Amino acid sequence: MDFLKSGLKTVLGAPEPGQQPSAAETVERLVDRVNNSTLLEDRRDACRALKAMSRKYRVEVGAQGMETLKQVLELDRADNETINYALDTLNNVMSPSQFEEEEDNPHIPMNIGEQFTEMFIKDHHNIQLVLELLDEYDFRVRLSVVQLLTSLLTNRPKDIQEIILVKPMGVSKMMDLLSDTREVIRNETLLLLIKLTKGNANIQKIVAFENAFDRLFEIVSSEGYSDGGIIVEDCLLLMLNLLKNNSSNIYFFKEGSYIQKMLPMFHAPDESEDAGWSPQKVSNVHCMLQIARTLVSPSNSVQIISCCQKIMKNVGLLDSLCNILMASGVPADILTETINTVGEVVRGDVTNQDFLGNVMAPSNPPRPAIVVLLMSMVNEKQPFSLRCAVLYCFQCYLYHNEMSQAGLVQTLLPSSTDVSSLTSGQLLCGGLFSSDVLSNWFSAVALMHALTENPAQKEQLLRVLLATNIGSSPVSLLHQCTLLLQQTTKLQSKVALLMLLSQWMSYCPPAVSAFLKVPGGVGYLVNQTCSNEHDDNEYLLQGLSAFLLAICIHFNDDSAENYTKDSLKQLLLKRIGMETFTAKLSEVTKHELYNKAAKHPQLRVKMPAEILIDYEFCRLFKVLESVLIQSLIEKKQDESNELNHERSSPESGTLEQYKSLIRQQDARLQELLSQVEGLVQQNQSLQGALNDSLASNSHLKDENTMLKAQLSTAKSLPSNQVQPPSQDNTKLIEYEEKIKQLTAEVTRLDTDLRVSRDSQKLAAEELETLRKDQDDLLVLFADQDLKLNEYKMRLISLGQPVDEDSVEPQQNLT
Amino acid sequence: MSYAYLFKYIIIGDTGVGKSCLLLQFTDKRFQPVHDLTIGVEFGARMITIDGKQIKLQIWDTAGQEAFRSITRSYYRGAAGALLVYDITRRDTFNHLTTWLEDARQHSNSNMVIMLIGNKSDLESRREVKKEEGEAFAREHGLVFMETSAKTAANVEEAFINTAKEIYEKIQEGVFDINNEANGIKIGPQHSTSGGASGAGGAGAAGAAGGGCC
Repeated sequence: MDFLKSGLKTVLGAPEPGQQPSAAETVERLVDRVNNSTLLEDRRDACRALKAMSRKYRVEVGAQGMETLKQVLELDRADNETINYALDTLNNVMSPSQFEEEEDNPHIPMNIGEQFTEMFIKDHHNIQLVLELLDEYDFRVRLSVVQLLTSLLTNRPKDIQEIILVKPMGVSKMMDLLSDTREVIRNETLLLLIKLTKGNANIQKIVAFENAFDRLFEIVSSEGYSDGGIIVEDCLLLMLNLLKNNSSNIYFFKEGSYIQKMLPMFHAPDESEDAGWSPQKVSNVHCMLQIARTLVSPSNSVQIISCCQKIMKNVGLLDSLCNILMASGVPADILTETINTVGEVVRGDVTNQDFLGNVMAPSNPPRPAIVVLLMSMVNEKQPFSLRCAVLYCFQCYLYHNEMSQAGLVQTLLPSSTDVSSLTSGQLLCGGLFSSDVLSNWFSAVALMHALTENPAQKEQLLRVLLATNIGSSPVSLLHQCTLLLQQTTKLQSKVALLMLLSQWMSYCPPAVSAFLKVPGGVGYLVNQTCSNEHDDNEYLLQGLSAFLLAICIHFNDDSAENYTKDSLKQLLLKRIGMETFTAKLSEVTKHELYNKAAKHPQLRVKMPAEILIDYEFCRLFKVLESVLIQSLIEKKQDESNELNHERSSPESGTLEQYKSLIRQQDARLQELLSQVEGLVQQNQSLQGALNDSLASNSHLKDENTMLKAQLSTAKSLPSNQVQPPSQDNTKLIEYEEKIKQLTAEVTRLDTDLRVSRDSQKLAAEELETLRKDQDDLLVLFADQDLKLNEYKMRLISLGQPVDEDSVEPQQNLT
Repeated sequence: MSYAYLFKYIIIGDTGVGKSCLLLQFTDKRFQPVHDLTIGVEFGARMITIDGKQIKLQIWDTAGQEAFRSITRSYYRGAAGALLVYDITRRDTFNHLTTWLEDARQHSNSNMVIMLIGNKSDLESRREVKKEEGEAFAREHGLVFMETSAKTAANVEEAFINTAKEIYEKIQEGVFDINNEANGIKIGPQHSTSGGASGAGGAGAAGAAGGGCC
């Protein structure tokens, strides 16, 4: 601290004799008095004086008095007044804010309060001292302690949190103050707890364990819920701190039936009372909506979300929220946040989604709330954040719900044309082709969400026809989207259409086929992909076009004649090339807005210009990127080799045996035939090579003779070229060698062929001889038979009895 | 989900003795052989029935590691019941009981009911601490004792329910100040009249039906 003192002297200048004592001197004298006076009154007065000086001369008071003030806290605890002065002085010295008194003093560093805080908390015992003073019931002391702790937390939140956490009963003592009957203390404690719980899960859990939610709801209710003052907001901010990113506390909140207690916050104002919303009420309700959203935030675990959603529906919270949605006179930012909240309360829960789908707006004629919301989304005049909220809510309404997805597509199909009423599908189509680029984007993304993971609706949507101009024949929606993609010059519309088409055509060969039949579609994609503009957004467009092109290949069922899987693949490889293609594809994930969108289902944008990529599209892209590249790389699988003729034969085993024999022979024959074929081919190629080399040989010979002639003519001149002929000679020798080799090869092959032919002939001859032998034998046998009969007759005529059977075996033998 | 009383429990004991598994078995009726190390404190809840009354148990499962000891101390004061758990296959976890007990007695309210639990009774072959030793320790320090297995669920229900019964009896006897929520007891929303007098006689009736209530 010495350096500070000396620093002060240089800042303030050394005291000149005869002048008023400088601030530093006065402080020094006062600190001396606190240290050395034996009378309590003197010490108290000195402390009071220090406090009075601490606002204007905090550097001096802090630098010289801190140690002394700490001693006062320890030793003069019996005197509340002294303690109070000491605490206030410390609080002034370490205050995070600048005092009026010091505004004209340029020598006070900006973060002086933080520097003193750092010094103060170096010794953890100091915090312990302050915490112990919380036991003191005296109003002034208690209030000062709370304020001092708040200052400390403001300056060094992380450090103080860790220190307090390990002090036994540290957090619990502060929680007790929340029950203090003196409102000032209670309110200051709220501010302290908000700072204490910020971002520290362990402290949050202890605070919740100490019945914080009960206390806070009691206060909120006693203050009149949303109509209450800033205290209600403080209570809600503290609750929000306790719940944010703390699944254990969220679970506790749900288990403790606190969701029910939120209900009175959302009572829609009566139609009759037209008092309007005070700014405080707006803040209060906004905080409460934040709490509701924290419980069902998509970043929580699925179990927690679905539990909380069910409770919110059952206790009527969703109902109340929808009432706010449809009430009149609700401020725009509350309406926006309510729409977001309703979205997250229904997201992925079929019952709640159905509920939202059935909410009717009190318009004339009554329309579904969803339709009214979508009308705002495609209305340029509505605030931007509100339109974003509607999109998010609508996405949540469709999320993981095949029924609501089908419901939307249904409104577009020709069968259900109820011309009188406006449907969500019509609104989206209108938005898709409107001149407002944001409407294009919102509508395309909304439609895209109706198709997410739903192949049936992808095919259904193909049936949608649009009547573009009166008189001309209707065009399919997909066709129109493709045309629009080629015509529009606006980046956001292009990206939106590319995303929609990608979602539509992925996993849906009929959609791919329909797209390929649209004139110019493929050409546009190829051109886009090949485009060579250098700009982040252009890179993105190129990447998205490449992505859609790859989808056309991967999910192609070869039903479009001009663009089969293979022909498209060839087109891509030739026009773009594999490497360029993968490079372009990877550009998508490098785009800043892609990464922003991929983080959270809800769009988090401030300006219309930041709208570009949708979260669900990011998911699709992540899943498909590698699959598509893989499918382009791998060679066409051999579809043959799948000849599985299975016939169950009832014939005997021998038949099977013969069959297998025949099969073996067949295979062998096949093998030999192919061998022969191979040899013939080889022979041919060799013959060709031979001819070639003969030709080149003769050519060389000609050249040689020409060169010789030249040489002889050159001999008369002082010639210098001798090397070329010799080179030719070596070449010639080489060729001749080769020819020799080749002829040898040919003769070898010839003999091979001859040998195999001979063996074939030999086998045929053998077969022939065997047949001949068999014929001979048959003739012989007939002879024998004749003779046998003759002998039989003769025996009968001689009167000898003849046994017919005895002959049989002989016959069988033949 | 209305209830007559709400009791707050804490589960304490050395790391790895199976505190989180006991809680999981009690609230979810399942066993998870590989459990992550508990960080700080985790929360679980279940409804049981004692003496015909619905009682909600809110249970805070603490980290056993020394590093979290100062954090978990904050939970003693507001709890009505504590399950002090050791592992019968690890002698050292039994030896540390005295420290745990001192800590608990120092920071909790004097009426807190402490149940001593020897867990992993399914691993009889690796037993290092005899059942008699656990009983003796409990007798010496005035605790209720039980051996449990979070794996087979043996005695798990009983451990939690018997602790609740003990607290319930103390309420009937008027030992607990039920209007001070800092004791870890809360009267249910519909139970506005002073709940002590009505069922004083039948406190012993078991919550056997309570097992299947959730």
